[in-house]
Amino acid sequence: MLIVDDHPGFRAQARALLAAAGYEIVGEAADGESGVRVARELSPDVVLLDVQLPDITGFEVVRLVAGEPDPPAVVLISSRDASDYGRRIERSGACGFISKADLSVRTLAAVLERSGQ
Amino acid sequence: MTRRRWGLAALGIMLMGWIIGGEWVSIHQHVPENHFIDAVGGLSFLVAGLVALDRRPRNRMGWLMIAYVAVSYLGNWGNLQVAVVPMIGTIGQQPGGAILAQMVLSYPTGRLRTRFERFVIGTIYAVAIGMSAVIALAYDPRADGCTRCAWEPAPFPSRHAVLTAISAGQRAGFFVFLLLIMALWLRWRRATPAERLGLAPLWVAASIYMVVGLMGTFASPDPTAQPFAYLVWELQSVLQIILPIVFLWGLLSTRLARSAVGDLVMELERPLLPGELRASLARALGDPSLDLLYALEGQGRWVNADGQPRFLPTPGGGRQARTATVVEREGEPLAALIHDPALDQGLVRAAAAAAGMAIVNERLQAEVRAQLEEVRASRQRIVEAGDAERRRVERNLHDGTQQRMATLALSLAMLRDRVAGDPAMAASLDQAAAELKLAIGELRELARGIHPAILTEEGLPAAVEALADRSSLPVRVRADFDERLPEPVEATAYFVVSESLANVAKYACASGAQVALWRRNGSLHVEVIDDGVGGADASRGSGLRGLEDRVSAVRGSFRVHTSPGGGTCVVAEIPCDT
Repeated sequence: MLIVDDHPGFRAQARALLAAAGYEIVGEAADGESGVRVARELSPDVVLLDVQLPDITGFEVVRLVAGEPDPPAVVLISSRDASDYGRRIERSGACGFISKADLSVRTLAAVLERSGQ
Repeated sequence: MTRRRWGLAALGIMLMGWIIGGEWVSIHQHVPENHFIDAVGGLSFLVAGLVALDRRPRNRMGWLMIAYVAVSYLGNWGNLQVAVVPMIGTIGQQPGGAILAQMVLSYPTGRLRTRFERFVIGTIYAVAIGMSAVIALAYDPRADGCTRCAWEPAPFPSRHAVLTAISAGQRAGFFVFLLLIMALWLRWRRATPAERLGLAPLWVAASIYMVVGLMGTFASPDPTAQPFAYLVWELQSVLQIILPIVFLWGLLSTRLARSAVGDLVMELERPLLPGELRASLARALGDPSLDLLYALEGQGRWVNADGQPRFLPTPGGGRQARTATVVEREGEPLAALIHDPALDQGLVRAAAAAAGMAIVNERLQAEVRAQLEEVRASRQRIVEAGDAERRRVERNLHDGTQQRMATLALSLAMLRDRVAGDPAMAASLDQAAAELKLAIGELRELARGIHPAILTEEGLPAAVEALADRSSLPVRVRADFDERLPEPVEATAYFVVSESLANVAKYACASGAQVALWRRNGSLHVEVIDDGVGGADASRGSGLRGLEDRVSAVRGSFRVHTSPGGGTCVVAEIPCDT
């Protein structure tokens, strides 16, 4: 799994939480462009991707990553609610959205399961 | 009488003698022509020239008309059969047509404007002078019956050959004439509407004159030789009278326009609506595109009658160039008339003087409107700054507090997993996580209330859909556009819908509401209708009043239609020029 988020504290906690649950965290990135680059280099199965990034938006990262051969499943995360993004999440091509406050091994597994990953 | 006028009077008397003397010589020599018409034609040009020199001293037309009289009547003096006079008379009158062509093309200023115009007139002068040279070389005064003339003709084969050469020169003039027509056509194309109005009568007369002149190139040089030549010759004489009259009419038309200024004075006696003064001045000056700007006292800025900021035209603006005539009072600019440069400056100033009091009044009104406009613009800036601040606060909450709380929630979840074997600790952490989740939810609502992220992210229709989804009542949304609008427009429309739906939920006792958003004629229309108890009154509550203020800050309009038991309809129209 690759974690893309510009908050180091959140990345560290997410890595610890998911690693403890058995996920292999292959990399981290603090902005959209490095997220795309690392995703191309490491070919993760899942990308946990923050919507609001300092350079390009998470939606743009999804679009760029989706163009790769054998693209990863992307799960969007945000401290905002899904309703704050309207239909943009559906249109983005991501396999799901989890509010950061609701992020847990269970919610992540449920999203991945729903999307058939 | 000024020295200048004495000089003009002397010039007039001298040239009158020149014309009448020339005719006297022609009569004495039994030249077959209508001496009266010929003299009247010359006198017409003389009077027109003198009037032009008197009224428009800097205008070259007067000197051109005087030059035409002096040159073209050389021919009559050429009938005086003394020494080389007949030859000088014959060759000297050749450039007369060239001067006439220059007058027509350069009317009314007397100045040629383009390189092509200068080329055409230069060519016409060259042909005329060339003709003069041929005549000078070949002229035989003795063959014309001047036994006392001292001039030896060049060894041309015969008088017939000379006439043939002259005739060929006249026919070459036909092509020069075509060039002149082309220059006139180009001039007409470039002319402003006001210029065309002034040029039309002259060009009609000049065109007829030139057509008759063209006919003359195919007629015999001797008018007594054939009836056609005689007809052409007589027509030319009559038109020679008409042409200076048209020139004079052009000059006096300024005076006619001045009578329109008199009408303007009468018109301005009644109270005027905003913008009516501009229309009256435009009518009086014959320039429908005339604009009237007002100087804001001590600010060096200009506004129109509605108080909207405007700039004076810069010099050299090309074909569509406009000129500003600034009206001053006690050295301070009061107003500026932006008009066609072809308009007579004196006339423009006369019209401005006639409208003096009306200009002062309308300027005061324009100043008040400009101040109101400044207040409105200031209000809009305040609203926009407020919106920007709201966006910044929401963004800061999202990037800061919300992120930290989300990280904290993750930490609690991890701790919870680690203390699974300690039920008491697990329960405490579960409670802490639940409280934190509530706090995150409340903070999210607060941030959304400050500024909805979806409005920034997705635009108005999506943001209104989200509002409808969160409403406690069933709300149907209809929007006929999907594109983004300027931020102030989106924010204002969202504010209208959000407040209106909140009012419906609180006070209307309605079973549902409908929101419609549509764009028409450069405006966004927002309509929120409910089927509640009605009776909303904008004058009683601060909510609707706040909406009205907010909408008017972006130049929009806001109305509330309501009746007891008949529901409420809130309508806002917000200009959006995207």
